[in-house]
Amino acid sequence: MTAQALRPGRAAPRRVALLPTAALLLGALYCLVPVAWVLVASTKAGDELFSTFTFAPGTGLLDNIADLSAYRDGVYWRWMANSVLYAGVGAVLSCAVSALGGYALAVYRFRGREAVFGVLLAGVLMPPVILAVPQYLLLAEADLAGSRLSVLLPVLLSPYGIYLARIYATAAVPSDVLEAARMDGAGEWRTFRTIALPMMLPGLVTIFLFQFVAIWNNFLLPFIMLSDDEKFPMTLGLYTLLNQGSNSPSLYTLVITGSLLAVLPLIALFLFIQRFWSLDLLTGAVKS
Amino acid sequence: MTRRRRPGARRRAPWAFLAPAIVLFLLFFALPIGYAIHLSLRTIEVQGLGLGSGARSEVWAGLSNYADALSDPELLDGALRVGVYGLIVVPVMLGLALLFALILDADRVRGRRFGRLVIFLPYAVPGVIAALLWGFLYLPSVSPLHHTLDALGLPEPDLLGGGALYAALANIAVWGGTGFNMIVIYTALRAIPADVHEAARLDGCSQLQIALRIKVPMVTPALVLTFFFSIIATLQVFSEPTTLRPLTNGISTTWSPLMKVYRDAFDTGDVHSAAATAVVIAVVTLALSFGFLRAAGARTRQEEAR
Amino acid sequence: MHRHRVAALSCSAVLTAAALTACGGSDDSGSGPVDLTYWAWADMEQVVDMWNEANPDIQVTVKEQAAGDDLVTRTITAAQAGQGPDLVQAEYQALPTLVSNDVLADISGQVADVEDQFAPGLWQQVTLGTDAVYALPQDSGPMMFFYRHDLFEEYGLTVPTTWDEFAETARTVRDVAPDTYLTTFSANDAGQFAGLAQQAGAQWWTTEGETWQVAIDDEATRRVAEFWGGLVAEDAILNEPMYTPAWNQAINSGEQIAWVSAVWAPGSLTTAAPDTAGNWAMAPLPQWEAGENATGSWGGSTTAVTRDSEHAEAAAEFATWLNTDPEALAGLVREGGIYPAATAAQTGEALAEPPAFFPNQPDFYAQAAEIAAGTAPAAWGPNVNVAYSTFNDAFGEAAQSRGDFPAALTAMQRSVVEDLESHGFQVSE
Repeated sequence: MTAQALRPGRAAPRRVALLPTAALLLGALYCLVPVAWVLVASTKAGDELFSTFTFAPGTGLLDNIADLSAYRDGVYWRWMANSVLYAGVGAVLSCAVSALGGYALAVYRFRGREAVFGVLLAGVLMPPVILAVPQYLLLAEADLAGSRLSVLLPVLLSPYGIYLARIYATAAVPSDVLEAARMDGAGEWRTFRTIALPMMLPGLVTIFLFQFVAIWNNFLLPFIMLSDDEKFPMTLGLYTLLNQGSNSPSLYTLVITGSLLAVLPLIALFLFIQRFWSLDLLTGAVKS
Repeated sequence: MTRRRRPGARRRAPWAFLAPAIVLFLLFFALPIGYAIHLSLRTIEVQGLGLGSGARSEVWAGLSNYADALSDPELLDGALRVGVYGLIVVPVMLGLALLFALILDADRVRGRRFGRLVIFLPYAVPGVIAALLWGFLYLPSVSPLHHTLDALGLPEPDLLGGGALYAALANIAVWGGTGFNMIVIYTALRAIPADVHEAARLDGCSQLQIALRIKVPMVTPALVLTFFFSIIATLQVFSEPTTLRPLTNGISTTWSPLMKVYRDAFDTGDVHSAAATAVVIAVVTLALSFGFLRAAGARTRQEEAR
Repeated sequence: MHRHRVAALSCSAVLTAAALTACGGSDDSGSGPVDLTYWAWADMEQVVDMWNEANPDIQVTVKEQAAGDDLVTRTITAAQAGQGPDLVQAEYQALPTLVSNDVLADISGQVADVEDQFAPGLWQQVTLGTDAVYALPQDSGPMMFFYRHDLFEEYGLTVPTTWDEFAETARTVRDVAPDTYLTTFSANDAGQFAGLAQQAGAQWWTTEGETWQVAIDDEATRRVAEFWGGLVAEDAILNEPMYTPAWNQAINSGEQIAWVSAVWAPGSLTTAAPDTAGNWAMAPLPQWEAGENATGSWGGSTTAVTRDSEHAEAAAEFATWLNTDPEALAGLVREGGIYPAATAAQTGEALAEPPAFFPNQPDFYAQAAEIAAGTAPAAWGPNVNVAYSTFNDAFGEAAQSRGDFPAALTAMQRSVVEDLESHGFQVSE
């Protein structure tokens, strides 16, 4: 909030810059079109979906939600709960791993630092499709395949999260503050927890968000790991709805309604986290 | 630098902090990669009709899987298709991301909060679902675009065949990725100290000049980062063409290299050749990004020295 | 580098040790009810509940899966890892692949007396022509011709009984109603093409001693490919895939007025073309020679017991009940909309009424049973999936460019043979 006020140009805010505003709104429109389409399509009953004009709203939203909830005793809501569990727990733990690693890489100078960083970062180069089968076979050896842990453990390490955490720690944690803490006799762990962690928090919120979305949207890993539909996350559940075999075609209306409901929690999360972003604590820390 | 009071703890601390990441890396990246390489060097050999138990055995294959992968024209064709696709996606997506980030950071623009949220919104839509939605919007019989063109008496393009297919696929990636990159660049823009702008403004620079001459150079590291990740994402394009494939004859099961890996591993059940192709892709990706990281690394060091 | 290798080695040692203990200490050894896991995509929860109520000693849990070729691979991978289910739903053409990967148990000892309950053509597919029994047939998909009887009347068309008449009808439709097609050729549905080839007499995979004989590019299949390629080339039929939103709309709105499909089509039409209830009729598939009664199969699946299962006996008992008990089959028909493989059930109580979508054809299932009697035997090999995925690509390209269908067929033959040879199979063409 304060950062906003500090910005120059506040003196003449009356005149709206038309061109940039128009460009921004156009961009927003482009991004909204398919979302608007799901919104409209999810109100259509099965027989309206392909027969009425694309953006003409239908009459069946509540029916569709009721159908979806009734589908196999409400298994959809179980998938939703599973997704929240996987994404929530996974993102928190992944955030912690990233924070620790990023902090270490940012504030300590030690032999092998860049090598460790490079190797961890190279993890993003490995396409998930390639890792998934070996991961399955190895987890099966440990008797974990098919369990909830099997979709949680492999996503805890996020090379991208470590990269961001290092950037944030470099920018937000001034070394003289750490020095001062150490001079006061604080141990390394305490210095991290009480001094550095609060300073890194806004950045960690971003990492949390990215990881939450990444796990929420992950399809391949649960697809390979899980066979019990009670443990499916949303994406996999919707895929089974879409792929029903030759004699019962895709349940399009259920899939579309399910997709809409699957996006809502993420939008809610964004709106919630927006508040942290606008705090701009990160920026403030850099400036001070 | 002065000597620390507890040099031992100080030396061990970074490794302790890094331990979870390193253990996870070893277990869920290094080990599976090693296993994939192991698989790629072996193959299945069949006895007789190959029916019943004991008819199949895994044998050492040397580099034959690699020879097959490299001599398969489909892999190269796939790489070329992805190259064309990337030439559309990366510039358009990053150009738009930079544009929107600069607009969000500019003064006197209305609707910034709204714009930021809405442009970021597609990031929340799972890739599979995004491709499904656009797939609906591309199909002539259900698309509002075709409705409109039809009403105006204009010719209706076939979005899922020929050259338009690349644009159609690129559009999905641009739609889904612009917001994410915008936020990364925007975060970097917010980190530019305000006094820099102040000075430029006092010198009489216009908003556009500030954006181009001061802001863009200062967020170059963020641009490099987004470029890097966009290239990798492009090389690994998979879910969009896979989701659209059932809708059209224009996308084969080996359209992108990763789709070929998936087909070999999951449709035709040949994990060994899939692993070999996968390793080839990973090595190419590694080589491409190594040069890139070196360039970026040199730049970072330059800046640190400053 | 060195350090990594050491770490990797020690990790795998730990994992192997874990696996050894895991293998030894698997659950229930003797006492208590037997728990069976069943991977399936068909809706059958109520039927399974029926079983569980009547058999407290053998409890079956269905784990619903997405259908498709990737399920076969998933099953194979799970079996390799020792994590497979006890029972699995598998399509007929997947059985050789599963058997070849040593996933399925031979249950001939447990199910010896049920052979005569199934048509010989189906039974042969679950034995792979050997003395073993690898699965029990659950449902079958004899192919038929479905058409909009109201529009056929409006356009003055007669129902084609031969493929020549079919081609003529397709051309007439283009003349009478230029915005309309008789049907489409879908490069996404290899199963349909395989069924049509069976009708023409094709035997894609056969064995001779220790040798696989591959005859995909044979005279019969070539005839089918040339026929459909010709119709696509002259724009008498469409070249777009089926099972897309666009296709749904086309058959719902009457832009496509016929569908070469199988007995399960009414279920598909109910969801794909909901506005057209009562407007469709079913007829036998057009024939290559007038007066014949031959058809192929599209779809259909089996229930198989895996080698992993520690309760193969109980699993086979359940599979037998599920696929031969009149009450179970009636439940499957009601709940899952399947067409039972067991011959007796095809004319049973559950199929006395026509499908709700076809009220205009009261003898639907009586006719279906007559058609099913002429089902040509299918001949599947250990790499059907390779054939199918090449079909998607090669025929997709040919259909898109309205180009050379026979060349696509040759590509299919070549890739199947090459795949077999590369794995050390003996192959002859």
